[in-house]
Amino acid sequence: MIASARWRAAPARPRPFFLWLFLPSLAAALLFVAALCEVAQYAFRVFTPGSLEAGGFTLENFARLARPIYLSVLADTLLISLATALFTLLLSYPVAYAMVRAKSDFVRSLIMLLAVTPLFTGEIVRTYAWILVLGSNGFVNSVLKAAGLVNAPLTMLYTRFGVIVALVQFSMPVMIIILAAALAHVDRNCERAAANLGAGPAKVFRHVTLPLTLPGIVSGTVVIFAWTMSAFSTPQLVGGGKVLMISNLVYLQGLSSFNFPFAAVLSLLALAVAIGALGSMRPFVSRLERKAAVN
Amino acid sequence: MKGEASPAVELIKVSKSFDAVQAVRELSLTIRQGELLTLLGPSGCGKTTLLNMLAGFEVPSAGSIVIGGRDVTAVPPYRRNTGMVFQNYALFPHMNVFDNVAFGLRMRKMAKFEMARAVGHALEMVKLEGLASRRIRQLSGGQQQRVALARAIVIEPKVLLLDEPLSALDRNLRGAMQVELRELHERTGLTTLFVTHDQEEALGLSDRIVVMSRGEIQQVATPLELYRLPANGFVASFIGEINRLPPARCRTEGNDVVFEIAGGIVLRARKRNQPTIGAGQETHLFVRPEHLTLVEGDRPAPNRVSCRVTAHLYQGAYTLTRVDAGPLGNLQLRVLGGEVIAAAPIGSQIKISIDLDKAVILAG
Amino acid sequence: MNAWLATRLSAGLFWSAVALILGYMTIPALVVLMTSVSPSELLEFPPSGFSLRWYERALTYPDFQGAFVNGLIVTAFASSLSLLIGSAFAYLVERYTFGGRVALEAILASPLIVPHFTTGFGFLLLGANLRIGQSYAVVVATHVLLTLPFVTRSVYVSLRNLDPALERAATNLGASPLQVLRRVTLPLLLPGMAGGWLVAAMLSLTEFTASLYVTAQRTQTLPVAMYTYVREYTDPTIAAISALLITFTTILMLIANRYLGLRRILAIDAH
Ligand SMILES: Nc1ncnc2c1ncn2[C@@H]1O[C@H](COP(=O)(O)OP(=O)(O)OP(=O)(O)O)[C@@H](O)[C@H]1O
Ligand SMILES: [Mg+2]
Repeated sequence: MIASARWRAAPARPRPFFLWLFLPSLAAALLFVAALCEVAQYAFRVFTPGSLEAGGFTLENFARLARPIYLSVLADTLLISLATALFTLLLSYPVAYAMVRAKSDFVRSLIMLLAVTPLFTGEIVRTYAWILVLGSNGFVNSVLKAAGLVNAPLTMLYTRFGVIVALVQFSMPVMIIILAAALAHVDRNCERAAANLGAGPAKVFRHVTLPLTLPGIVSGTVVIFAWTMSAFSTPQLVGGGKVLMISNLVYLQGLSSFNFPFAAVLSLLALAVAIGALGSMRPFVSRLERKAAVN
Repeated sequence: MKGEASPAVELIKVSKSFDAVQAVRELSLTIRQGELLTLLGPSGCGKTTLLNMLAGFEVPSAGSIVIGGRDVTAVPPYRRNTGMVFQNYALFPHMNVFDNVAFGLRMRKMAKFEMARAVGHALEMVKLEGLASRRIRQLSGGQQQRVALARAIVIEPKVLLLDEPLSALDRNLRGAMQVELRELHERTGLTTLFVTHDQEEALGLSDRIVVMSRGEIQQVATPLELYRLPANGFVASFIGEINRLPPARCRTEGNDVVFEIAGGIVLRARKRNQPTIGAGQETHLFVRPEHLTLVEGDRPAPNRVSCRVTAHLYQGAYTLTRVDAGPLGNLQLRVLGGEVIAAAPIGSQIKISIDLDKAVILAG
Repeated sequence: MNAWLATRLSAGLFWSAVALILGYMTIPALVVLMTSVSPSELLEFPPSGFSLRWYERALTYPDFQGAFVNGLIVTAFASSLSLLIGSAFAYLVERYTFGGRVALEAILASPLIVPHFTTGFGFLLLGANLRIGQSYAVVVATHVLLTLPFVTRSVYVSLRNLDPALERAATNLGASPLQVLRRVTLPLLLPGMAGGWLVAAMLSLTEFTASLYVTAQRTQTLPVAMYTYVREYTDPTIAAISALLITFTTILMLIANRYLGLRRILAIDAH
């Protein structure tokens, strides 16, 4: 009935609802790009004190960055971020390990709950809590005094130490999630094989578990570094103006002095550092992952 | 031709390529009304691709597909009325057994009452009465398999497509399901295309078998024909065990055909009605293990060859015995029972007879 | 025997360390709970008594009441919009290839990297330029962008775990694309979408830094109002509100863990 084959070009694959799915995402992306472009264009405008309207084109705002005060804030920001990332890693790994490997379901859920809930209580609640803990009449000092260990209260609030203590606690939930994901993907049989070949628990960890979770460790550390770079409420409240990070400068310049152009420059600087940190991690992590795949 | 009913499915010069890979090449095939046709071939030969084109999940790069007399090449999958059973069943985990089976009927807007009856009937067909309200997760592998079948047959498809439906089952269950599938096919009379790479399954189940290799059809035949008269070397060695002898020159001698093989070996067979074998031609001989027999003592037997035993593989009902037959290379015999293991120990010299009358002879 | 002892000992050490670290993570919340019931206006440990006066003040303080309502409005709109856009985008990325896909993916994931104050500042400037100032629209838009990566990720993971054969099976049985979406894809994505929505809602409700830039007195959300209060007063009113938030979050996490599985929401087992 059909005598010969009919040759035709294959019809394109149907893509139902493509526009319906595409347009909202596109709109959101455009909005975000527009917002960032606003920041970028303000960075090149002249600041007129006492006026919200920015003037014509200038590079002056960028030159201002070179002043020692700003350089020292930048250095402080980097230092605090680095310390936070490292301490977060050290404290998070055991928790993530326990969370993934605990034998009882209940223990795993409990650790999960304790470790992750702080993520969802919000910056302000957590920062305020640390003021209560670290203050001169706060929890730690009361305990130390009651125990007779100190006479005068220790100064922890308004110091870099206090800021880092609070920031580490902030960052841990995210780090724990990243590390737990890495640990959950380690094939238990690899560890069993190592043990079977005569490696004790410590050696199994050092030669198998740790190397296999290295990509997670690196990306977790860099992510925390980048996030801490943009922490605001902790240095603002726990640092109390004595510890300044870029975010606090942006706030001072933008919402107190209304120097939008310079605030914009500082915002871009923070963004650049964050992107730089994440970008520099990329090749490293992919190399680690390649290596893990080969071995 | 004969006054046959119109074919259920026709594939006309269908091709499909994915970027560089040509998965199916200019393939033409006719599936008869009500038959159970099996697609058999090694992994990656394009079976699933062919099935997917029939179901409409892949669009052919060229050629056309006709189902029930209608060209469906451009028809979307949900208007084709093919019933597919997926390799891992693809049962909807958020619906119970009844809703899974009823899904296709809902899409066809069947009335509630009628639907309940049809689903009940389909579940009865696959022997799952009483499990209608079970959740999918509470079913065993075999039961899931039946639900998938019921779901596909309840819509009374123009053609039932089965993609290695039994491969996820364990061996015993697979055997039982093969029998059931065959019975189900008899009862429903649905035109069925069954994909497998298990030749035993194909031989046992099918009305006809299509052997595919690298996107092309090698042979279409009944299981019997396929086993006895493979069309080429690929089919011969793909279906069942077979010994391939070294190439031979043949000539006729009275009622016999004589094959001369390198090393001075001469084998004979009765002349047969096979036009492909001409005098002086190079031919290839394929002999099934069951057509090689042990010769005891000096009893006369056709095509006697001496050889050395190299291994025994005991299989229960029979033993596969491997021998080194010098210029004929390594051969495999199928010997009933297991006595041969003691009678002809490894390393011993024995004589075998090659029954060339049942051999497959292909021109070079 | 010696090896057994060593193993025991190191396991004991390990678990004590874990307990200590978890204590460090949890103590601030406990201190907040303790402070919130203290009768004294000054901070003191242990509290000299029990009183609910700070709760009363927190719940009747007009700024908090307004900010709470604002926050709920913003969160309701932002998380729902985020769910719609994020689900659509996850589906788009998982199922289709199209020009500019990589760029779109990068842009919509970038709010994770861009400092919140940069995002907030950007939307403040954008709102000012569009003459819609610090209106609800700007606040909601900011929160949508900030929460979008979380919804997208959650739905994307669910989509990846969805066996494509299920959708094919439905199609084969005669379901049109819309019917497949409604009867198979969406029901199976529901847990992922619920998880994503929950995360988005929680983050939006507690978002502070960007909100500080894009809200005005009229549109300020609860964290912003709390921040303003902390800068002006030192009494434990904030402790009371914080205690309420901590309790609420904990209960929510318990429920989420029970019904959706936190591991799945947070994509810990995802590939
Ligand atoms: N979507 C695709 N994209 C690219 N190549 C494909 C695609 N699907 C199949 N192929 C290729 O087409 C060829 C045939 O694949 P197909 O799945 O049809 O094989 P099959 O016969 O079903 O094999 P198996 O028995 O292993 O299931 C293979 O080489 C495969 O790699
Ligand atoms: Mg296949």
